[in-house]
Amino acid sequence: MKPPSFPMIAAEPDMAEELSRRSLLRLVLASSTLALSPAIMVGDAAAETPVSGGTLTIGADADPIGLDPVTLTAFSSYDFTSLIYTGLLRWSAQMKIEPDLALSYDQPDPKTYVFRLRQGVKFHNGQDFTANDVKHTFDRILNPASGSRLRASYSSVDAVTVIDPYTVKFQLNATDAAFLSNLATSPNGAIVPAGVENLNTQPVGTGPFVFEAYQPNLQFSLTAHASYYEKGQPHLSRVVFKFYKDQATLTSALRSRAIDMTWLKDPKVAAAIARTSPNLVSAPGQTSRTFPVWLNMKAKPLNDIRVRRALSLATDRKACLDTILGGSGKIGAMIPESQVGGYDGTGELPYYKHDPAAAKALLAEAGYPDGIDLGNYIIVAANPLDVACAQILQQQWQAAGITVKLVPMETAPLLTMWTTGTWPTLLSVALSWTPDSDATLQYITSGSNTGKGMGSNDAELDRMILEARAELDLGLRAAKNLAIQRHIADQAYIIQVYQYPLRWEIWWNYVKDYVPIAANIRSFVRTAWLKK
Amino acid sequence: MKRFVLGRLAWMLAILLAVSFIAFAMMRALPGDFAIAAAGSQSVAPEVLAAIRQDLGLDRSLLAQYWAWLGHAILGDLGTSFVTRQPVRPELFDRLAVTFQLTLVAAIISMVMGVATGLAAARMRGTVDWIVRLYNGVMLAVPNYVVATLIVLLFGLYFPQVSIFGYTPFLEDPLANIGSLLLPALALALAVSVTISENTRAAVLEVANQDFVMVARAKGLPPGRILRDYLVRNAMTPVITATGLKIAALLGGSILVETIFAIPGMGQYLFDSINSRDYPVIQAIVLTASAIVVVVNTMIDIAYARVDARVKL
Repeated sequence: MKPPSFPMIAAEPDMAEELSRRSLLRLVLASSTLALSPAIMVGDAAAETPVSGGTLTIGADADPIGLDPVTLTAFSSYDFTSLIYTGLLRWSAQMKIEPDLALSYDQPDPKTYVFRLRQGVKFHNGQDFTANDVKHTFDRILNPASGSRLRASYSSVDAVTVIDPYTVKFQLNATDAAFLSNLATSPNGAIVPAGVENLNTQPVGTGPFVFEAYQPNLQFSLTAHASYYEKGQPHLSRVVFKFYKDQATLTSALRSRAIDMTWLKDPKVAAAIARTSPNLVSAPGQTSRTFPVWLNMKAKPLNDIRVRRALSLATDRKACLDTILGGSGKIGAMIPESQVGGYDGTGELPYYKHDPAAAKALLAEAGYPDGIDLGNYIIVAANPLDVACAQILQQQWQAAGITVKLVPMETAPLLTMWTTGTWPTLLSVALSWTPDSDATLQYITSGSNTGKGMGSNDAELDRMILEARAELDLGLRAAKNLAIQRHIADQAYIIQVYQYPLRWEIWWNYVKDYVPIAANIRSFVRTAWLKK
Repeated sequence: MKRFVLGRLAWMLAILLAVSFIAFAMMRALPGDFAIAAAGSQSVAPEVLAAIRQDLGLDRSLLAQYWAWLGHAILGDLGTSFVTRQPVRPELFDRLAVTFQLTLVAAIISMVMGVATGLAAARMRGTVDWIVRLYNGVMLAVPNYVVATLIVLLFGLYFPQVSIFGYTPFLEDPLANIGSLLLPALALALAVSVTISENTRAAVLEVANQDFVMVARAKGLPPGRILRDYLVRNAMTPVITATGLKIAALLGGSILVETIFAIPGMGQYLFDSINSRDYPVIQAIVLTASAIVVVVNTMIDIAYARVDARVKL
């Protein structure tokens, strides 16, 4: 019999009074680890026996800002914290949720989760990991005084109770499909030890690697955690991140083997570098990021749905994808394909067909027979892909009688504009992968700050998003998410252009069993080894 | 004399105060702050951003913030970096040492190259002169960050076996340290070296037409000796002055060159700090850099006053 897939939840959402549904997680034993081993997933001819030892050097382009998973807000820290800390659950290479510090869980009712924890796990400081640490972590997150950005993600959690040292209960105040996704995500689900302070500069976790030293802008080093709980892992004895702020320097460092692996922001550069040597492996991650044009609908002319639809019709998404990404991405909608119900780039969405004539007709209907000037289109100057795509969009829109002026801008002020809703008409800032589709949809609800900023005011849409989050059945949830995306496209609230991996990872082929995943972290460094 | 020196010192303090305040106000006039820059394009609730700002004291009035910073700075406490949560001062001094080393290597390279090409152009007319002047004209127009990027690309593509990236601390391996600084120093030195080259050429030509050189030639001294004892010695004074003035340009150029070559010096530190809006670090760097410039200038003023009777005291 096939083991139950995870999470196994009955299709009928209102069967709470039924006997407790139990979702057994497979114990990750060495044997099953082999079955899941990245080598097989990548399709190597024969799985080799990993060699222990050696130092993996990774080229990084951003320093961490803080290393305490509860309080950090900087995306650049995730790469580092994901090797130091682990959580109750984690993402597999195929972006399925799998057990980590928790071995299994029961769901006596849709709002209650009881996790059974792994025993014998040690923190890097020698402390034993128990249910107490789980409670401590979530108490910190939910305490407003901590100022944790995660408080919003776990807003459905009412209380965390220790039942015994290896059993912990989460009591939710609403059914929350995003709950498990958040637990599986690093750093959102990272467990921190009770009674340890200063994690920001001296991190202590249960992860495969122990923090060793950090010299800002120079390097960040980690050593293997001797008592890590997965048998035989990690294979590497050290991991060293070296910082290179400049993409050209980063690629040159890779070519000269000053680093063993890195990730690049431009697919064309990654492809060109990969071609320079047959020994370089380049694997595109799953698409996890979308490139949207945010519309300020609080005022004329974008409060007129006809103008927004015209803009969508004037956009040739396929041309952008082919020109900018060389095809290594997909046409985008609100949710990237690596999430439940994410759009996979196929299938028609309303107003996605490139039709400048129809766009002109709509504009004329809206009272702009001679075309329209939408003023400034603000873009992130530091992101060459964004700038190049905006230039193409400008030409495409011009052909339909829509004029815009490109304004490349420094990132910090642009983000201020975006989060406060003070950009005039159009603005682009890419949306990175989020733990759960709901987190992505929150950008557009009328209650969120970005939603307020864009003038989102659609009770129907808010209701749909709320319902999707409460849907625990994956199939039903995917259908709801697709309906939401269809609705957003139909109303043209946001012009989503394409979706693409955040990074095009590239490494020398002596680094074995490494897999890039869509979750924007390098969790498979734990299974990587060097064949030198 | 004493009054002159005291006046100079008072003036120095006033300038430092003004510079630090202007830098403070300008940084805060830039839109976006640390909390926003750190969050990036993630949706972070406004109350979380507010909590971060409060934690860092960014919610107080501008003057209150400046006053608090000044009080600490006077006592030698340059504050704590927002990004690393570490005190700024030790980090800054480490980086200052790296930048000085880079600047020193660049200054030596530019002197050697500049004087050699300038002398060659001045002494050998015709083709050599023409080539040197053409090269100088071109190099003067190319910014050093372009040169740096080209060097990185060339070595990355054609000589990947030469590992030129990153930085090796001097105490770890002195030779590798010098090696890791050579190319960035070259990128930094090229623009300065052509200025020195032009200066040298002009100065040598000017001195060559003066009476005492004519006399030396008439006496039948060998050309090598004329060059060494008459031309170079007399032409070098303006060249050295010009080189001294260019040191500031080297320091400025180090910002981009260090960033491109991943050299952990003060320039890269400033670049990153401005991007991440790490105010305490920016303040500390501006204060330190302006202090260096102001102190050096004041010392030169006082020294001139000592040796030059025409400077009224």
